[in-house]
Amino acid sequence: MAASLVRFVRGGLGRSYNIARTSCLLQQQTRLQSSTTDTQPTVRPKDAVTHNQLAAFGEYVSEMMPKYIQQVQVTCFNELEVMIHPDGVIPVLTFLRDHTNAQFRNMIDLTAVDIPTRQNRFEIVYNLLSLRYNTRIRIKTYTDELTPVDSAVTVHKAANWYEREVWDMYGVFFANHPDLRRILTDYGFEGHPFRKDFPLSGYVEVRYDDEVKRVVAEPVELSQEFRKFDLNTPWEVFPAYREPKEAAPKLEAGDAPEKK
Amino acid sequence: MLRLPVVSRSLFPAALTKGGAAATNNVRTAATATAAAPNLLEVFVDGNPVMVEPGTTVLQACEKVGMQIPRFCYHERLSVAGNCRMCLVEIEKVPKPVAACAMPVMKGWNILTNSDKTRKAREGVMEFLLANHPLDCPICDQGGECDLQDQSMQFGSDRSRFTESKRAVEDKNIGPLIKTIMTRCIQCTRCVRFASEIAGVEELGTTGRGNDLQIGTYVEKMFMSELSGNVIDICPVGALTSKPYAFTARPWETRKTETIDVLDAVGSNIVVSTRGGEVMRVLPRLNEDINEEWISDKTRFAYDGLKRQRLTQTMVKNESGQLVATTWEDALTRVAGALQGVEGNDVAAVVGGLVDAEALISLKDLLNRFNSDTLCTEEAFPMAGAGSDLRSNYLLNTGIAGIEEADLLLLVGTNPRYEAPLFNARIRKGWLHNELQVALVGKEVDLSYTHDHLGESATVLQEIASGTHPFSQVLAKAKRPVVVVGSSCLQREDGAAIMAAVSTIAQNARVSSGVEETWKVLNVLHRVASQVAALDLGYKPGVEAIRKNPPKLLFLLGADAGCITRQDLPKDSFIIYQGHHGDVGAPMADIILPGAAYTEKCSTYVNTEGRAQQTKVAVTAPGMAREDWRIIRAISELAGVTLPYDTLDEVRDRLAEVSPNLVRYDDVEEANYFKQANELSKVSCYLTPAYPISRASQTMAKCVKAVTEGAQAVDEPAIC
Amino acid sequence: MASNTAARAAVGAAKVVRPIFSRDLDEAKRRVRELYRAWYREVPNTVTTFQLDITTRQGRDKVREMFDKNKHVTDPRVIDMLVIKGKMELQETIHVWKQKTHIMRYFHETEEARPADFLSKFYRGHDP
Repeated sequence: MAASLVRFVRGGLGRSYNIARTSCLLQQQTRLQSSTTDTQPTVRPKDAVTHNQLAAFGEYVSEMMPKYIQQVQVTCFNELEVMIHPDGVIPVLTFLRDHTNAQFRNMIDLTAVDIPTRQNRFEIVYNLLSLRYNTRIRIKTYTDELTPVDSAVTVHKAANWYEREVWDMYGVFFANHPDLRRILTDYGFEGHPFRKDFPLSGYVEVRYDDEVKRVVAEPVELSQEFRKFDLNTPWEVFPAYREPKEAAPKLEAGDAPEKK
Repeated sequence: MLRLPVVSRSLFPAALTKGGAAATNNVRTAATATAAAPNLLEVFVDGNPVMVEPGTTVLQACEKVGMQIPRFCYHERLSVAGNCRMCLVEIEKVPKPVAACAMPVMKGWNILTNSDKTRKAREGVMEFLLANHPLDCPICDQGGECDLQDQSMQFGSDRSRFTESKRAVEDKNIGPLIKTIMTRCIQCTRCVRFASEIAGVEELGTTGRGNDLQIGTYVEKMFMSELSGNVIDICPVGALTSKPYAFTARPWETRKTETIDVLDAVGSNIVVSTRGGEVMRVLPRLNEDINEEWISDKTRFAYDGLKRQRLTQTMVKNESGQLVATTWEDALTRVAGALQGVEGNDVAAVVGGLVDAEALISLKDLLNRFNSDTLCTEEAFPMAGAGSDLRSNYLLNTGIAGIEEADLLLLVGTNPRYEAPLFNARIRKGWLHNELQVALVGKEVDLSYTHDHLGESATVLQEIASGTHPFSQVLAKAKRPVVVVGSSCLQREDGAAIMAAVSTIAQNARVSSGVEETWKVLNVLHRVASQVAALDLGYKPGVEAIRKNPPKLLFLLGADAGCITRQDLPKDSFIIYQGHHGDVGAPMADIILPGAAYTEKCSTYVNTEGRAQQTKVAVTAPGMAREDWRIIRAISELAGVTLPYDTLDEVRDRLAEVSPNLVRYDDVEEANYFKQANELSKVSCYLTPAYPISRASQTMAKCVKAVTEGAQAVDEPAIC
Repeated sequence: MASNTAARAAVGAAKVVRPIFSRDLDEAKRRVRELYRAWYREVPNTVTTFQLDITTRQGRDKVREMFDKNKHVTDPRVIDMLVIKGKMELQETIHVWKQKTHIMRYFHETEEARPADFLSKFYRGHDP
């Protein structure tokens, strides 16, 4: 160990005359000196201006529609998220589309997330784009297997097929949808494959049957072993040293934004 | 050559209590320490108060509040070395960081497990360890279960400033089981300490100093221990890995099934790792009462025998005497037809050493339906006197863990090192920590501890029994005597006499020692896993009954010891063999029914202590093989005497009816009727007792070759 | 405004569940009967358009069987959901979006029955 120390010192001395390596070594040097204080050189720099702008806009929106908007937050990647009550889908989307200062006229995406542990297991996510102001917003609401959500087709035509997809994959019913039917799965398919309780292998497998001269579906019987990986252990041998995750900062409606 | 921890009998117990390893190493020592010194110390871990006994190390105090300190050299069951320095922690008002594994706590210390100084110390140690560690994790077999990998992710620096060259160390050839890549070694010396403390072979050591320190055998020789495979598990890096497992699987892609081992009568708890319906390796599972966290080499490496010489098809002998494959329907119909033609003593059965309790009970029920009770085990046991009627007569009554408490042990006609390596490890533990004195009657064998060899003949036993032998005085002075008789010596003609003498010795020792009623003196150490369950279920030990009265129809259930051959039977007799390996029994059979091996069925085994344990299904049986009790149940239906169970639970209900202790899993059923009641193969432990699985294993064959001809004989071209 | 979770809990506790279509069980039952009638009328057309090798009677028995499978359901919302799915199936059938194979899937013609008694299970394989 002493030997390697000596080598280390020699390596350090080498810096002074090796000009070609100077720049990278200088970097290294600064890093070594400030290793305790500057802990995040590789993390994306914070953009306080954009963040404050989004936060202010989020504040403004939630003040305009306090009945529906439950929470507003800006993520670490500077994305504005608005959590709303399911009843408020139409009013909020309409407001964001038509308000002079919002102009979110494009529906980029509509999808859902299944979180079975929650009381309302499905989270419906709307991603909107305002070309006028070159900005994006994400609306989130929630529902369960049996509660219908108002269809957004009346506000955004683009929602039509997205909602069919969510219906097909998650089984969320959209009330007043003009043409709600399956879009991705085969006719006669049972179940909603993106639900967390839907098995990865599915329930049926299809094959061509020579006797009846058509494709038949039979209960799935896997001849190959299902490959399951044990992903828990590797880096979790010292749970006591786990660092707590930072939660996204919340912006409660009514909090006076201290920045600006 | 320097052996790092100096282990000697006189030094060790003192070092143990002083080092504070007492709490985990030997529970009993710790218990007495508490009784003697109730004055606990108060220390703080990150400000949280905790009461500990004096002598507890910093690391153990932290463990007590759930704070794990990273470590490499420290291992609970080994002595403290304190040479890896990974466990450095800061202590408030102490000028330098201390090694937590070796430093006893002082009153009022505040241990800072995650302070800046502690983290910096860890980072520094990790940097030095990695300086000489190759970056070959992608081709390292330890990858994914490597302490160095895990801890460098958790505690190491996230960037390197290493520009020098790394040290390289020549690999050693220490036998066909353990692969060494010594460049990866971080000199924690766990393997050296394991070899000298647990295994009792002083073969590993360190040479050189500083940067040149190396682990090795100094001169090239094999690591000759029956527990050698355990160094693979305790090695925190990939320096010692398994040769048969090399480059075959990764830990995260295997499925782990917690089961038990049946290759000896100890019943070690194991984890079977499988991938794609194939057993990839066998690892030990913690069970303080049986195997602690070690397993024998046979348990660990004989698994490749599960893939070779397997019976995968039902077979019948045709007119020309050739065995040809057939269907289950055909084979079972023939068996049922043959059974229906015989009655009473014309039908008999022999069961082998690997048969589970479920198969035993169903076979017994089946033959009882045909008015036959000629059900024998291959292992003999003297039936004179109480015989197998009293359970205490054929169990290891003291228990495997109980040996640690004994102060005098008399081994009769057994070599525990080969027959039950983990029992032997316990004896050594008692010898090392508890001043256990060992004496041996029988063939002189090399045990891993000093012992008095009293003689080879049975007359020595008679002398001890009658009190004329000098050892009788020693025995009379013992406070907690134990007598262990090996089942191998009971196979002999004079087995009954030996058993009687041993029984007398045990009874005398019991009276003279004045030990309490719960202490058991007489013990029988079995060699095969099925014997205790078979005796519990009322099987007759030994095949004498069949020799005397040759049956027309013989049912061999995994009987591969060759006790009964064609010559012992009438010409026209019909032999059915049911089992999982094409070994000794199968070739002489008229019908072969393929059964499942211990990794392929959920079944009950009773170990030599009388502890019922279950195996679990890790892989499905190959080909047409089925679980043994199902085959017998199917035969019974075709023979018109349907047995009343269709599911495993129903079989177990039936087991509970006959012998309730067989379904009380993981529990030792005490047996308490003492008042009422050898030729060892010197080849190697790898083939004793002769088992189909270990005989089919190539790894085991290599071991035998290496032991007899030297490690070079099986030297394979190095792959990496 | 109350925080997110609190609001949701309050909503879940206080609000009466939002119906899909039917306000009570009778209304839901009416919808089921309507659907059943529509299927009943559609069966002969289906048999001819798809050129199925079954009789109308068999088709209607199957329809009845499918309805009977859910007769234990009493929650109007669940019934509504089933009716919605049944209507979609009917639509797919009427428009001949489905093919013969999809229709015949209801009849499970090629599936082998799982063995029930010990011996046939034994002959079949490892798993009971």
